[in-house]
Amino acid sequence: MPSIISLIQNENMKIYRRISTWFMIGLLALATLAGALITKATHKEQQNWKAGVASEIQTLKEQLSDEKLPKMYKNHLEQQLKINEYRLEHDIRPVPSNSFWGYMVNSADMIQLITLFTIIVAAGSIASEFSWGTIKLLLIRPASRSKILLSKYAATLLFAFCMLLLLLMFSSIISAIVFGIDHIRTPYLAYQNGNVVETNMLFHVIRVYGLNCATLVMMTTFAFMISAIFRNSSLAIGLAIFLMFVGTEVTALLAMKFKWAKYLLFANTDLLRYIDGVPLVKGMTMSFSILMLFVYFIVFNSFTWLIFRKRDIAA
Amino acid sequence: MKPLLQLKNVRKDIGKKTIIHDLSLEVFAGEVFGFLGPNGAGKTTTIRMIVGLMGMTSGEVLINGISIKKDFEKAIQHVGAIVENPEMYKFLTGYQNLLHYARMAKGVTKERIDEVVKLVGLEKRIHDKVKTYSLGMRQRLGLAQALLHKPSLLILDEPTNGLDPAGIREIRDYLRKLAKQEGLAVIVSSHLLSEMEMMCDRFAIIQHGRLVGIESVQELSKQAQKVLITVEPVEQALSIIKRAYSSINMKPTNQGIEVSIDYEEIPRLNAMLVSEHVKVYGIQTMTKSLEERFLEMTGGNEIA
Repeated sequence: MPSIISLIQNENMKIYRRISTWFMIGLLALATLAGALITKATHKEQQNWKAGVASEIQTLKEQLSDEKLPKMYKNHLEQQLKINEYRLEHDIRPVPSNSFWGYMVNSADMIQLITLFTIIVAAGSIASEFSWGTIKLLLIRPASRSKILLSKYAATLLFAFCMLLLLLMFSSIISAIVFGIDHIRTPYLAYQNGNVVETNMLFHVIRVYGLNCATLVMMTTFAFMISAIFRNSSLAIGLAIFLMFVGTEVTALLAMKFKWAKYLLFANTDLLRYIDGVPLVKGMTMSFSILMLFVYFIVFNSFTWLIFRKRDIAA
Repeated sequence: MKPLLQLKNVRKDIGKKTIIHDLSLEVFAGEVFGFLGPNGAGKTTTIRMIVGLMGMTSGEVLINGISIKKDFEKAIQHVGAIVENPEMYKFLTGYQNLLHYARMAKGVTKERIDEVVKLVGLEKRIHDKVKTYSLGMRQRLGLAQALLHKPSLLILDEPTNGLDPAGIREIRDYLRKLAKQEGLAVIVSSHLLSEMEMMCDRFAIIQHGRLVGIESVQELSKQAQKVLITVEPVEQALSIIKRAYSSINMKPTNQGIEVSIDYEEIPRLNAMLVSEHVKVYGIQTMTKSLEERFLEMTGGNEIA
């Protein structure tokens, strides 16, 4: 029986020996560079950051004086207020987007691009074997279908992980070259248990990356499932991308009217809102969302597994 | 002798339609066994069930006595196969394709890969991408991946498809050698009768998903068959034959006389003609008999 490691090795060979994969990596580097150059060209330098923060504090105070403000939103504003006051007190400049850390944090938006690429890889992983006809030779080896499926899934997630590392690498190099590393020691101001604390900026960047991955993992798993059910990679890619872009909007609309919207997948994928934002539906917490994501994760994977294991291969 | 492959009442329903009806047969080590049947008869479906690509509705497939349904991983490790066309990863080289399958089997070394590459005669092109291969070369690569792990049961679906006459002959000789010298059980499928006759020891005729019969090529060739005799003078020969075999079926043609006669009777007929001073230029068995037998058994070439 082959070990799962050699099966993953095989899947990796099938991912990285293809030109399209290297095209994706090139595109990611290019997008990161373009993002940095656009930021540099369009960003307006703020002359006096202290005045800016002071006026922000003023606005926050005005908003907070409103009695009808929902409690959740009020908490969020109070946190913002405390952090801004801390800034003035300790002379800590907010991180502008045209700085090393500013662009690093913003580069997390590129994870959407990685999600797109990973969806393509995931969808192709199963469906292509069917369309190439290679599935027949793949499944007549002394490896159970479950094991082969697991190796494909693992190789896909490994690809996503590599892309994330590459993004981190690309953006730090490009950011350092384009914006310089003058303010590299700036701390990140976090709000913990009623106090403002200074934390490591790199830690913050990695956390932002990590929290952005919820959509990545869920949509990849979804594409994987569709490709196992319909054996059609275009359908899997199309459906996953369509859902990714429309799902968030539709869920937001539904959440305004219905409480049950909190059980929808896309109500839970944006974990970042629990750190510096407001929950979509009142009462939602980070642990609730993680639990929901876990449930969806199990459901998607079970479907994939049940179908792939039992299917007659007639391709 | 213990059969290497056993099919016991294998049945396959798709929806309400029964594709394969209670198929039972046995294949032994050391023989080349053929699946013969018109297109759509169920040859490929049967092969898919043997290698576990399709589930069975009922019945059992045993490879080396191990059930493919209950213990897939153990049963399949002694099987090498090509199912339909030998489809490979076109963006990989031939060698990378073999490496891929080598990683999925037990104890296939780099030396073994090289050995198999040499065996199928792909040394020169093995490091080229498969998309540059001709159909014949893909067929060879397909054979290589099936042989990598030294299987005891080799299953080849239409193995000579796309090969040139020299290649067909090479494969045929090689398969016979594998069966006779290495003691493999080889299963080939084809709709070409002449090919079956040259390659197989026994073959099963499948039609409409049913086993019509199992024939041994040797026995079949000993049954009554058509012989073309080239003689001179024709008139004299005709009367001699008529005298010796009263109820014989014969017909003078441009090439000579076509006679339907038992295999054992051919030397006697020859001796008789020679002793009567008829000049015998040639006696040729016409392979048509197998084809006729096939048509007789399957009742024409209709698709279910």
